Amino acid sequence: MNARPLALLLSLLLAGILVASLGVGSTDVVGISDGIQGALAMMGMAEPLEQYQVLVELRVIRILATVGVGAALALSGALLQGVFRNDLASPSIIGVSSGAGLGASLAILVIGGYGPRFMIENAVGFGPVIVTVAALVGAASCAWLVTTLATASGRISVPMLLLVGIAVNAIAAGLLAAIQSWALRDYDVSQALFSWVFGRLEDRSAFQVGLLWSGLLASAAVIPFVALELDLFATGEEDARGLGVNTARVKFLAILAASASAAIAVSVAGQISFIGLVVPHVVRRITTASHRAVLPLCLLAGPVFLAGTELVQRSLLGGSHLQPGVTMSLLGGPFFLFLLVRHRRELRAW
Amino acid sequence: MVSGLRCEGVGYTYPDGPKAVDEATLDVERGRLVCIIGPNGAGKSTLLKGMAGLLTMQSGVVTVDGGPVNELDSRERARILAMVPQFLDAIPSLTVESFVLGGRYGHLDAWRRAQGSDHEAVHAALEAADVSDLRDRLLGEVSGGQRQRVLVARALAQEARYLLVDEPTSSLDPEHQLGLFHLLERLAGDGHGVCVVTHDLNLASQFSAEIALMQEGRFVASGPPGEILTPQVLEPVYGEHFRYASWSTGDDAERPVVVPWSER
Repeated sequence: MNARPLALLLSLLLAGILVASLGVGSTDVVGISDGIQGALAMMGMAEPLEQYQVLVELRVIRILATVGVGAALALSGALLQGVFRNDLASPSIIGVSSGAGLGASLAILVIGGYGPRFMIENAVGFGPVIVTVAALVGAASCAWLVTTLATASGRISVPMLLLVGIAVNAIAAGLLAAIQSWALRDYDVSQALFSWVFGRLEDRSAFQVGLLWSGLLASAAVIPFVALELDLFATGEEDARGLGVNTARVKFLAILAASASAAIAVSVAGQISFIGLVVPHVVRRITTASHRAVLPLCLLAGPVFLAGTELVQRSLLGGSHLQPGVTMSLLGGPFFLFLLVRHRRELRAW
Repeated sequence: MVSGLRCEGVGYTYPDGPKAVDEATLDVERGRLVCIIGPNGAGKSTLLKGMAGLLTMQSGVVTVDGGPVNELDSRERARILAMVPQFLDAIPSLTVESFVLGGRYGHLDAWRRAQGSDHEAVHAALEAADVSDLRDRLLGEVSGGQRQRVLVARALAQEARYLLVDEPTSSLDPEHQLGLFHLLERLAGDGHGVCVVTHDLNLASQFSAEIALMQEGRFVASGPPGEILTPQVLEPVYGEHFRYASWSTGDDAERPVVVPWSER
């Protein structure tokens, strides 16, 4: 399928999913026209709804978070798969997810009563902001650590990056498990820790959504400066350099944008994995492998995938729906296995 | 402006390795085809990468038309120097034409859009490398000999003044070997500076204006084929493994022919 018709199809699909999502939530069902009116009223373009205005506003925020998270994770995965020339790369390998988890867990622990007294007292009311910022710092630190350790004389070595990523992820996972097991005795704190780990798109604050979208837009801004270059990476880095590609700059920009967008998404919504692996892969299968098409299309396909699965499971399961991180793992795990089996012949050669 | 691609006393040592290139000096003028020969591990490919600006030499200097290669912006460098690699790490799923368009990267505007002039340059390059009929075929579907010509076409699309070619004939049958060297000879005739690393002494003899012989990172001799492909020059480097003859090319002096030979 050509990229343009696919972009149109995804846009229509996304618009449909978003309008439908306005009406569906864990509580009352709102009619489509009411949902649209409520959303327009938020921008001062229509009269506010009499009964459901607050509900619709909460759902708009949720939808903005869902779209932003889906787009940021899919973009991050597509960039990393391009840089590593490996379809199995994803944001979690550079330590973003586990770093964010570690940062957020530490913050929850501190706010939850285990930090110094002055910190606990001053944290009142700023919980979500503190946890988000701590997750962002954790994600950025792990991504920085992994990329720095994998850099020798100014160049990022891709095999080294994959290996360092595995090691740093293991360290972060160990620390995270230690925090979780230590906090088990405290019901409230451990519930907060686990709920964050499962991912959450509801009840996000305007600060979080603003942070998410600023990070997403800044990361998406690199697309024109890396897309063709990543296409030329396909024949090898040295070959790309011979054609005039500044490979060090392209790798830096792509890894920076991938880390930033994934870190912000995970810091806002918790650990939602596999979007970054699955979405770019499917987009490449359906259309071309050119990053000039794949990168922008991921900005549409990521939200369609995340918002679509959210809509489906909310419609089917209502109030007892699963956390998005859980759904994505349930779908993404088997898909990853499917990819590995498909690539079995190539992987044996490693 | 000083013309020519020139390395002066360049050296390069790989980490934990011996010196790959040691005090090597070479000139490639425009309009000439220069062949670098030498045993395996002599440092030929390393030097070629250094000349192409893909590897920064640790000592000495590589200049192109008077300016150091390493001070050039990467896209500007690709408009002056084009490298034809021996292999690609992977064969992309692109048509021959899209692949050759990659050679235009250094010429694209800030938004990386290909203009009419880029497509014209691609068509001219496909024509010159005699692969126009393959333009819509996938790169993975063409033969090894055709792919080598497509690599040359991509380098031509760069519209560079100098071509650096790494062992272009190692996987080709004799007909394609000759065809490729005829193409490189024609490009030199059109004013390109062409530098070819090759193990094929007879193709070097037949087509090059100058042969430079490398051993253990250094140039031990350079000059016209008749002066280099002699027992006195080759035997200290390759050992006594050749039989020597010569063949008239018709237009100028006789060209040496060197046949690997082992006494039984």
